[in-house]
Amino acid sequence: MATILKIGDEIPALTKNAYAPIEEDARNPIHKDDYAREHGMRGALVPGSTLLSYVLEMLYNHFGEKWLCRGRINVSFIGGGAVNGDVLTAHGSVKAIEAEDSGGRITLDVWMANQNGEKVVVGEASCIA
Amino acid sequence: MSLEEDFAAIPIGLDLGEWEIVLDEKTIKDRAALTQWQTMDVIDKLKAAPPGQTINLHAKMQFAKFTNLRAAIWAKSEHEFLKPLKMGSKVIIRGKVVDKYIKRGRLYRVSEFETVDENGDVLMRSRETGIHVE
Repeated sequence: MATILKIGDEIPALTKNAYAPIEEDARNPIHKDDYAREHGMRGALVPGSTLLSYVLEMLYNHFGEKWLCRGRINVSFIGGGAVNGDVLTAHGSVKAIEAEDSGGRITLDVWMANQNGEKVVVGEASCIA
Repeated sequence: MSLEEDFAAIPIGLDLGEWEIVLDEKTIKDRAALTQWQTMDVIDKLKAAPPGQTINLHAKMQFAKFTNLRAAIWAKSEHEFLKPLKMGSKVIIRGKVVDKYIKRGRLYRVSEFETVDENGDVLMRSRETGIHVE
């Protein structure tokens, strides 16, 4: 159940131990260790769709069913990405609350950082609550 | 052709095709497990897929279209959720290339996707930016 928020409030963070098994039909070698290491990465990158899912679960946990039909998110994937075993924590901080015809739209800065505090996802999300 | 030549040949407006997926319980739960989704009320009580459940298919649609593309990195991802993706329903995803640009020597392609149900109702709109790499 969503609580009443004001600007500056943070919604409950969500932490995941990043893990992404290789999907058999995956074509993108960026998600495979050999290729990723050859190209200067720490290892196979966890797919962006998985990282996004961690952030979406944090937002769903706060906004509930409303997120499924009133949620918006816009993020960039930054830094060196995430690899299996990284401890990733998603955060959301309220930056604006605006009235719309169908209710109040709450806009949050959202980000996800790894165990070293390095951000791997940054952006904005909003939902009519 | 080289990566750059392939990129130059991509027309803005290129249709990425149409993919269908039936969101049965197993499909939803398998995907939830892959993404470590743990808030199960969306599946068990609302009988819907967790938000973003089908977003990985956008990448697959693009790799299916760009058969010479070896690798890509996701740069940006934007989504608007309009209706729940109901368990047991069939959804259709349509995509197209809407922009491309080169910045600091990197090749960026922007694609938009619309996810609709069998009645044509729009469930989700997406806009994604990927970088083509060797």
